[in-house]
Amino acid sequence: MPEVESSKFKVQSSKSKFEERDTDDLSVVNGELLEISGDKKIETNQKLELSTASKQQRINDKGQTTNQQAAIRNYLLLPFIFLTVALLGGLRLGANNFLFLKPALVCLIFASVLLVLFFRADLIRLDGWFSEQFSTLKNIANVAVLFSLFAASTQVFNSLLPESGLPFWVVAFCFFWTLWNNLFAEFDTKKLLKSLGSLFGLAFVVKYLLLANLTAPANESWWQGIFQNPTQEAFTYLLDLPRFATATGYIQFFMLVSYLIGLYLLPPILLEEKRK
Amino acid sequence: MKEKHIQISGVVLAALYSVFIAWLYWAEPKNLAEVSTKAQTTIENVTTKTQVAIGTYEIDKAKFNEGLDAFRNGNFIVARDSFERADPERRDAQTQFYIAYSFYRQGFGKISNDDALFRKGLEQTNLVVQADKNFKSDDADLQLKTPAELKNEFEEGLKVTASDFNPFKVLRERK
Repeated sequence: MPEVESSKFKVQSSKSKFEERDTDDLSVVNGELLEISGDKKIETNQKLELSTASKQQRINDKGQTTNQQAAIRNYLLLPFIFLTVALLGGLRLGANNFLFLKPALVCLIFASVLLVLFFRADLIRLDGWFSEQFSTLKNIANVAVLFSLFAASTQVFNSLLPESGLPFWVVAFCFFWTLWNNLFAEFDTKKLLKSLGSLFGLAFVVKYLLLANLTAPANESWWQGIFQNPTQEAFTYLLDLPRFATATGYIQFFMLVSYLIGLYLLPPILLEEKRK
Repeated sequence: MKEKHIQISGVVLAALYSVFIAWLYWAEPKNLAEVSTKAQTTIENVTTKTQVAIGTYEIDKAKFNEGLDAFRNGNFIVARDSFERADPERRDAQTQFYIAYSFYRQGFGKISNDDALFRKGLEQTNLVVQADKNFKSDDADLQLKTPAELKNEFEEGLKVTASDFNPFKVLRERK
């Protein structure tokens, strides 16, 4: 540093005052000053513009990819998950056959209340899903997604409610009680999802572990049951429990997990709306 | 793939999947083999209903002829089965008339008629009238040519009157 300062002093002493100002300015220039022709200036400007445009293009492409991924998730993946839940929710396996059980009326009512809960807890925002600003196609596609959600919710209740007898009414009352209380509670999305997860989990344990273990095996005759499993046979008779194969529980577990994943993936508002 | 295309395919796929699920719950197949059988039956039914809706419905001539052969040979159960298959929508007056006639011929007895078959025949005659009020058969083998005559025969056969105890009744011939 001192060497630099001394050389600077030498230059200043040998020049006029006018030159001094210039040398002062030159002290900050490290490289050689070159005269640039008009054409080159234009070329540089063009390069700058091009790089800005390519950056903008990259940002747009990225945005488009994100949009595409969101659209695939919202309009292909979610309906697929929810409709698969709707397909499996009523499926039971007998000894050697499939049984497709149609949902009881109470399942439709519970599903409607559940949808109201989703709107109240902002899991789905109505103005984020339906708008006059959206195209008709988009509104129709959103209706299809919500319809699949409703069908899935109905079938979840169909799966978790015992099929008949006293257990049906007890579990249905518990569902009704919980949903009714939740309707008037202050919820956020996370709390609602946690609450639903625990509610459905408990119902699953009651039906597919507790009641299933009280039911006599499907491939046993009545007399065989009386001698070999008298308690199970008695509970099956008293509680009017249907006899299904063990695989039913596995299918319904998969169905329930898929439904909760679907709810987790469900966006409260759609991407276009978010960006605004 | 544009967002618009994704939305269109989403709606179409969701609709198709929903129809498949609804069909499964409606048809209730008991195993995988039954899925294809019931699907085939459903497709046939839908095709027939569509034909009726667009006015191109026709009976299955081959099955009708099979039914007619069985009818002439006195095999009335097979005949009815073939006629029903030939006209699943019960819209062809001629086919329905043959079904009604098969009830008459099968139920006719020299001493007493089969009331159950005669009642079914009477209901069947009403279907003929519904399909064509002015129907008249051109089959020379049939002595009763119109639904009204056939209906009268059924009604008379179902009534219990003093003439039923006439011993000469055994001499009457089947029409």
